[in-house]
Amino acid sequence: MRRLFKQRTLWLAVFVLALAFLFVGANLDFDYVIPKRLARLAAIVIGGVCVAVSSIVFQTIAGNRILTPAVMGYEAVYLLLQSLLILAMGMHSVVLLGQNGNFVVSIALMLAYSWAIHYWLFRDGKNNVYFLLLLGFVLTMVIGTFTQFIQLRISPGEFAILQGFSQASFNKAQPAQLLTSALLVGAACVAVLKTLPALDVLALGREQAISLGIDYRRMVQLQLALIAVLVAVSTSLLGPTAFTGIFVANTSYALARTARHRVTLPLGCAIAITIFLAAQLLVEHVFNYRTTVGILVNLVCGAYFLALMVRTRGTV
Amino acid sequence: MIHVKQIEKSYGARRVLANVSVQFPKGKVTSLIGPNGAGKTTLLMLIARLLEPGQGEILLGGRSIADIRIADYARQVATLRQSPDFKLRLTVEELVAFGRFPYSRGTLTPQDRLAIDEAIDFLSLEALRAAYVDELSGGQRQMAFLAMTIAQQTDIVLLDEPLNNLDMKHAVQIMRALRRLCDEQGRTVILVIHDINFAANYSDHIVAMQGGAVRFSGPAHEVVTEERLRALYDIDFHIVRNERGCVCNYFTPTGA
Repeated sequence: MRRLFKQRTLWLAVFVLALAFLFVGANLDFDYVIPKRLARLAAIVIGGVCVAVSSIVFQTIAGNRILTPAVMGYEAVYLLLQSLLILAMGMHSVVLLGQNGNFVVSIALMLAYSWAIHYWLFRDGKNNVYFLLLLGFVLTMVIGTFTQFIQLRISPGEFAILQGFSQASFNKAQPAQLLTSALLVGAACVAVLKTLPALDVLALGREQAISLGIDYRRMVQLQLALIAVLVAVSTSLLGPTAFTGIFVANTSYALARTARHRVTLPLGCAIAITIFLAAQLLVEHVFNYRTTVGILVNLVCGAYFLALMVRTRGTV
Repeated sequence: MIHVKQIEKSYGARRVLANVSVQFPKGKVTSLIGPNGAGKTTLLMLIARLLEPGQGEILLGGRSIADIRIADYARQVATLRQSPDFKLRLTVEELVAFGRFPYSRGTLTPQDRLAIDEAIDFLSLEALRAAYVDELSGGQRQMAFLAMTIAQQTDIVLLDEPLNNLDMKHAVQIMRALRRLCDEQGRTVILVIHDINFAANYSDHIVAMQGGAVRFSGPAHEVVTEERLRALYDIDFHIVRNERGCVCNYFTPTGA
């Protein structure tokens, strides 16, 4: 009962925040301000769902509470791709590929990266959390440096485009891209919904899952593919979300007080949307755009990540 | 009947099982014993299909297990491994309900609920039903996991060192439960076990392994002799038998 109450409160908070986001200071301007805000709200909802579902499912597969796709370098790979595209084709790449072309290429690359992670890291279910964590950070760093190197070789105009890619923001989403994103995320979510009971079993670990009749390899491949789609959508829609996933997933576990995905996934979505909405409201109305959503969210979630590492001291 | 035929398994260059052929009788409790590194757990994991053999095959009722779909296999063979660091927030009842996954794939039928109740009842876990698994003691947790395995209602139950880290009371509880599973429900129980006294007193059949090969196998009373155990473990044994069973004393070896 208390769990249900908490969930309802959270969704109520989401609803209130969404209304506040739409109408505060808008003077009921339905021609310009509110449609613009609706687009941002859509980006926030889609992004929130992507971050929450991808992080929680990834943690279930990896069997720990620290690793998320962002930590494992998915976003770094995305940024590297954007840098390479601009280096190779200059500003033409934006025109040449178009929003959706870029999107498709990004998803393909993330799928490839997922496959590589699956092949190298989840073989035989032998995964050492600290090894994976270290590898994720090193990969992120190496790819990040490589991206910077590329950035030094391009013109200021191109650099500005790249900057746009590398900072989280809800302002850049175009209606067409929002529609594609919504469709993709919807499809991925349906697939996740269909495998909800299997996800609960996967959380018991590889051996117990196989013993309960799960085709482990195929199930993990499917889930990693779904994660790749979700991360590609969220990264191209919002930019890198870094530690948000860890914060969202762990808060969701703490509030849900059960490991069932039927509960933790919707709760995670609500938490992610709340955080994004709150950050966006703060940026728009308190900081007057003098800071960005990415900075705010990472400040809170990064601090949480640090606290989590210190508090658990390797027991995660 | 499980028939292991000329199984070979290596991890990298290290060969853990070499040309192992052995049979596990149906409807009996069989213990896999032997020193560390003998390949007992590897053999059990191969039967559980958690590992793939390098060569050879394992037959279940005359059919190669590699040809059985993993979803169907889970209705014939249940495996329990050690679960030392379990951190998921689940109640005992929810955990036991996972045992029904091979049948219902997540949506419990009345029949599933009956099986869950029976499993909980079988191990007298009624009092712990709503308790969270991550808050239980090691022994209680092992019982909860065993209940899940029982709820799976398979003909064959495989257990990897089920007594590890348990106190004597819980160890006896688990072994008696396994004995009853076999005697009352006719299930085939195969377990890897280090405590020779539990193996000697609770199993019908013993498979003794050493250095990746089966050293000897047979009915428990034939295998548990002073000279055979000495050959297997390379220490002296003194076996005392009475009407309540036998005690293998190896704590105070004489002449070693």
